[in-house]
Amino acid sequence: MSDIETGQFSIDDLENVQITIGKIVGAIEKKAQEEGVEIGPTPKPGISGLRDWDYKLLSRYQPVYTPVCDQCCYCTFGKCDLSGNKEGACGINMEAHQARETLLRVITGAAAHAGHGRHILHHLIDLYGHDKPIDVGPSNLLAPNTQAVTGIRPETLGDLEEVMDYVEEQLTQLLATIHAGQEGAAIDFESKILHGGMLDHVGMEVSDLAQVSCLGMPKSDPEAPLVEIGMGCIDSSKPVLVVIGHNVAGVTNIMDYIHEHDLEDKMELAGLCCTAIDMTRYQTDQGQLPRAKVIGTLAKELKMIRSGVPDVIVVDEQCVRADVLDEAKKLSIPVITTNEKIMYGLPNRSEDKPEDIIEDLSTFKEPGALILDFDVLGEVAPELTLKMSKIRDEIGIKALPTDEELQELSEKCVQCGACELDCPDNLPIMEAMRAGVDNDFSKFEYLHDKCIACGRCDQACPKDIPVLNMIEKASQKLIREEKGFMRSGRGQISDPEIREEGVNLVLGTTPGIIAMVGCSNYPDGTKDLYSVADEMLKRNYIVVMSGCSAMDLGMYKNEDGETLYEKYPSKFLAGNLINVGSCVSNSHITGTAIKVAAIFAQRNVSGNYEEIADYITNRIGAVGVAWGAYSQKAASIASGCNRLGIPVVVGPHGSKYRRALIGKPYKEEDWKVYDARNGSEMPIPASPEFLLTTAESIEELLPMLAKNCIRPSDNSMGRMIKLTHYMELSQKYLGHMPEDWYKFVRTETDLPLAKREELLKMLEKDHGWEIDWKRKKILSGPTMKADVSAQPTNVKRLCKGEC
Amino acid sequence: MVDTTKNTQIYATWGRKTAKPVNPKVAGKMISKAKRPLMVVGSEILKDDKLVEKTVAIAKKGVPVAATGHSITALVEKDIGAKYINVHSLGHYLGDKNWSGLDGKGPYDTIIFIGHKKYYLNQVLAGIKNFTDLKTIAIERHYMQNATLSFGNLKPEVHLEALDEIIENL
Repeated sequence: MSDIETGQFSIDDLENVQITIGKIVGAIEKKAQEEGVEIGPTPKPGISGLRDWDYKLLSRYQPVYTPVCDQCCYCTFGKCDLSGNKEGACGINMEAHQARETLLRVITGAAAHAGHGRHILHHLIDLYGHDKPIDVGPSNLLAPNTQAVTGIRPETLGDLEEVMDYVEEQLTQLLATIHAGQEGAAIDFESKILHGGMLDHVGMEVSDLAQVSCLGMPKSDPEAPLVEIGMGCIDSSKPVLVVIGHNVAGVTNIMDYIHEHDLEDKMELAGLCCTAIDMTRYQTDQGQLPRAKVIGTLAKELKMIRSGVPDVIVVDEQCVRADVLDEAKKLSIPVITTNEKIMYGLPNRSEDKPEDIIEDLSTFKEPGALILDFDVLGEVAPELTLKMSKIRDEIGIKALPTDEELQELSEKCVQCGACELDCPDNLPIMEAMRAGVDNDFSKFEYLHDKCIACGRCDQACPKDIPVLNMIEKASQKLIREEKGFMRSGRGQISDPEIREEGVNLVLGTTPGIIAMVGCSNYPDGTKDLYSVADEMLKRNYIVVMSGCSAMDLGMYKNEDGETLYEKYPSKFLAGNLINVGSCVSNSHITGTAIKVAAIFAQRNVSGNYEEIADYITNRIGAVGVAWGAYSQKAASIASGCNRLGIPVVVGPHGSKYRRALIGKPYKEEDWKVYDARNGSEMPIPASPEFLLTTAESIEELLPMLAKNCIRPSDNSMGRMIKLTHYMELSQKYLGHMPEDWYKFVRTETDLPLAKREELLKMLEKDHGWEIDWKRKKILSGPTMKADVSAQPTNVKRLCKGEC
Repeated sequence: MVDTTKNTQIYATWGRKTAKPVNPKVAGKMISKAKRPLMVVGSEILKDDKLVEKTVAIAKKGVPVAATGHSITALVEKDIGAKYINVHSLGHYLGDKNWSGLDGKGPYDTIIFIGHKKYYLNQVLAGIKNFTDLKTIAIERHYMQNATLSFGNLKPEVHLEALDEIIENL
């Protein structure tokens, strides 16, 4: 009997009958067997599949709950006051409720990415077919997250459907646990959070694999092109089409239309948020120039709309302001929605003729349209932009206040302070208003970069002063100068790159990977990102960017007029700066860590998540930074990193995620692992100290990053390098030697060479260590041995003789 | 005498238990009476030299200092024994009765906060309020609703006056 394969079949004798075989039970295992791939113990794990691993992590890194609200209002029993960890009417206590709230956010984020993934996968399968090969560059391990989690080694777009089926099913199961009256243990909600985070990285990976394979995006390309970025790079004398969102599917039709009709020089096409990044990746894998510009992040959305510059706005999904249509309407800007996630109450014109839609929108019969047919969209958006540009010029749109009006508005302010209290960063708006009365608007300019353009000040003002517009008007000169370069997203790190750099990462001679991801809710402006990245790059860390952070980094230049993307090379090597791409490209960061375990260390990857995570936890010095994290997606991305043992630091606003995972370095029993060579226990340094925490300022963040790249597997050279950076950064930014530096010293060769004698003296004097001064050797004191052949593991079954 | 109890406007309702507004004199006396006080100083003090001055003056009255963020840069050479710690970690350790404190002398009973971002500290305080029995006193410019006791929302100059009054009462 021959094997049945998936696909479509016709039977000769039966007319008009077609049989479709979608999935075959046991197919993953069979295929793996044929290819000689060993499947690990947890292919497609259910909610409890990796619970033991989660418990191990959570026993060292305990959840720290900081509720945003003390009440629960989920069901009609409530509202229930849970303050003081009281139980509500359903029996849930504050801890478990906070964990549940976090879970809800994490799976919301994961669903956003997975929904995106499913949408673009459908779209691309429609265009290219199920058998379109996955092509993401010179790699054999094409889908590290997918393979580690599901055991599936996808080769075609069609293979990705089964992956999405799994993600969606698990997300539904997780969502079901949110319902009132079920789970009561915070720790099991915590395990579910980590499960949701893991799923998120699979969903993201599917999205990016599919689009990189089909849309001509750079394929692991270190030379991905530089792209213009900033509000100042938009030529407002031309018709301007602005796209906002995350899903580039429909936008590619717009780009094709513009290209095919030679409109590229006749209009500006620019994007906000991650669609912008993916627009600049589209059709650039053969060295072509990007066909779009990047305006910036979510924080620029309201500012861009209120500038009145866009002639048409197209939105797709995810981080798009809910008031785009209302804001655009005020300035006669038609809005086109293109995805079922955002429809703004607009009529569905998907079946209508482009010329009819253009006529209705350009005569303001409707403020916008829902267009789900991308061919229609492709024609309507650019043609409408060309038409609206003339119409809006003729009308004479007045967007921002005049200089005279700025002064008058300042006078209207009664200094009540409502705006400052409502401002997420409590910015000094009243001071700017006081100066504005005397025609000094420099204090508004100061606010420009600090302001995240949420518009809450406008809503709070009892005098209806348009505060945000005042900031924008006063900052026109700055805005005109907002021009930079971002390296377009290069996609995943290729297998050969991992082979080259993996050993340095595991031994610590490349001091670590700093992954700067996430959104634009910064505590003190966007320049902080530049400062952090530049400092770590100078110190030879690999800095990996993605999403909104990747954009904001390109906004600043050094004294030579260079952005960091121009200053630093972009290979996966120490001291290089990489942009993997948009939000869904974050999966390549965890994918890189998985690849190090799989390729450099030859660990089996398929369905072997726990072992891979254990390897990463103990050996790969990587820290994520989401300095401006605001979204549910950022929460799920961080949770996916956490399940792999990758710590993440968020900015102070991240405290509003209401839960962190922080270890206790003073509890020695928490900092022990097994040596897989013989199953004996071995002490390890308290690093990473946390899996998820906040930092107050970048000055605090920088030494934290260096310290939390330290791993048990560092060789002496690696530990010396990491310790040097930790001590130097503490001295530079905190003005003191860190108190715990000696706890990371195992032998004198771990000490920085230039300061070895001085540090040995300190060890003797301050910590009572015994030193042989003739040989300059440590005789006693350290709690850990330096043993490069030790095999640190948290998983007993991985020890010799345990299996 | 400065009245620091008037404006307790909050951004959102976060629960039924909110900080009792407190005047500097009472706050000062409570700090004095605490057996194991700890003053947690955030990086916002660096924005105003006078704030640093007042903070150091309070510390010199014998209140141990935890310096969070990068506030340590202004406190390190002031002979007050300030120790750096991350505020989120500190919030976690404070709830652990087995933590021996920054100086190894055992758990604290009264935690005083100054120099923090409003939204950030309120989150840290939410954890302490809900999961510990510690008394927390916010002597900040903004009303910290999740503290046990807090100043109301104050103008900068009034805040400095209030701190002087606390110092007088220590």
